[in-house]
Amino acid sequence: MSAPSLGSARRPWWLLAPTLLVLGVLLLWPIVRVVVLSLQDFGLRELVRGGAEFIALDNYVAVLTNERLWRIALPNTVVFAAACVVLTVVVGTLIALVLHQLSGVWRTLVTMAIMAAWAVPAVTGTYVWVYLFDAREGFLTGLLAQAGLIDLATQNLFSDRGWFYAIATLNVVHHGFPFVAVTVLAGLTTIPQELHEAAMIDGATAWQRFRQITLPLLKPVFAIVTILSTIWDFKVFTQIYLMPGGDGANRSVLNLGTWSYVTAMSQNNYGMGAAIAVLLTLLLLAVTVIYLRTLFREEEL
Amino acid sequence: MRKSPLQIAGLTLASLAIVVFSLFPVWVMVTRAFDPGAGSGRRSVIPSGFSLEHFVTVLERSSFPTYLMNSLVVALVTVVASGLLALFAAVAVARFRFSGRTKILMMILIIQMIPIEALVIPLFLQAKTLGLLNSLLGLSVIYIAFSLSFAIWTLRGFVAGIPVELEEAAYLDGASWWQMFWRVLFPLVAPGLVAVSVFSFILAWNEFIFALTFMSDGDKYTAAVGLRTFFTRGGTDWGSVMAASTLITMPVLLFFVAVQSRLSSGLMSGATKG
Repeated sequence: MSAPSLGSARRPWWLLAPTLLVLGVLLLWPIVRVVVLSLQDFGLRELVRGGAEFIALDNYVAVLTNERLWRIALPNTVVFAAACVVLTVVVGTLIALVLHQLSGVWRTLVTMAIMAAWAVPAVTGTYVWVYLFDAREGFLTGLLAQAGLIDLATQNLFSDRGWFYAIATLNVVHHGFPFVAVTVLAGLTTIPQELHEAAMIDGATAWQRFRQITLPLLKPVFAIVTILSTIWDFKVFTQIYLMPGGDGANRSVLNLGTWSYVTAMSQNNYGMGAAIAVLLTLLLLAVTVIYLRTLFREEEL
Repeated sequence: MRKSPLQIAGLTLASLAIVVFSLFPVWVMVTRAFDPGAGSGRRSVIPSGFSLEHFVTVLERSSFPTYLMNSLVVALVTVVASGLLALFAAVAVARFRFSGRTKILMMILIIQMIPIEALVIPLFLQAKTLGLLNSLLGLSVIYIAFSLSFAIWTLRGFVAGIPVELEEAAYLDGASWWQMFWRVLFPLVAPGLVAVSVFSFILAWNEFIFALTFMSDGDKYTAAVGLRTFFTRGGTDWGSVMAASTLITMPVLLFFVAVQSRLSSGLMSGATKG
């Protein structure tokens, strides 16, 4: 290759050094540290004085035998993530299919609108949805009450686990569908128009063409958007934490992310918080590996 | 293919529905920010009037300008530092062949998949030990680490696209390696640096969990965390929340519209979600 000057054998390492230092200290070491912490009894005393006692798997035992995990945090995480992933991918795909049919001004307009939805930061987006479902002033709470679905005099939507997560799902799907739409649209443009035309001549309906042509050809694209959405939706933190009661005040709406955070930061039980964080990461890894395996297995057939 | 009038009507209706659904939160946020009736208990998405009073409250009678300034400082430090570090690293992996090169590239890719939320606890303890809590620089360093991986992979492509002949011509003219780097490579990867900068700016500007954990002093809050100060025990000042939210959202919205054509032309990397 290039690089004729002397000393160039060491140059790539000099160029990489700052990056490797930053990644090592701020990403690799904390990974080691979070695992070590999860094996320690690390509380406020250890934080102030230093030194911590190793307690083997006690933190994991405490988490895995905790009712809060099985009754609250795990279902809140898994059911919520599953609902979000399915809805995000379906809504995103439908919108991509519409976008693919559009041209000119309409296409630009719809693309801009989707981009705007994408651009809204999680923090401000969450506050807007909280406002829309506010008990006193919320527009959507008003609609729900008019439809007779809720009783405003007695019900606060956010204190109810089901409503809380329904609102969170709406928030996360709204934040996540633009990525799916844009990615699937990019995939759709790669499918030769002739395939659809030939299928139409053979009398295939729109649904049949989607099932027989689009779906098989875009399988890698759907795999990517599903895996990424799953990873994102399993570890949702901000959108839950910022909703009323989501910061730990309402125990019934904790998910794995907020439970880990509240355990460590509010209760100063850093060891157990770390153990929950490790379990969440392992869950994420397992889901990703299962996805990838099913994908590759089907590929072999 | 020609479309029937029925199909055109259906498509138009669907497009309108998508536009309304997509823009609904932005519409609510912005109209409420300018609506003097926000916070008065009026359930409507149609504004009752126009006034700048909420912006005046936010910008003159609250600490929000400080929070905005903190966010700006953190974002700019992140953009400059991660851009430079990533460019150095990208040049190293794109222009040199050395043992361990592939391993380093793979490591950088895998690192991107770690859920950063899982690292809050150890990084908080580390920062506490090092005295980096409540430090804008300490927070920036975290964001630099989070944005590096994407930045390196993106810039690597841009660097690899520059013909080696241009470098060799610089050497023939007597340039040293660093002169060649600043005068030849740097200007040519500028478009890549812009893309990477937008990404890391948005990451730093929007980030919540680390900003919340690291900044306990009121005057060190970033804008995303400072929004919480409008929620008090006495009730929520929704007009101020919406005005401040509008101020936070606008730069990101402008960036997204600016890179819109790039994104919709099929940048398949999933790294742009907050």
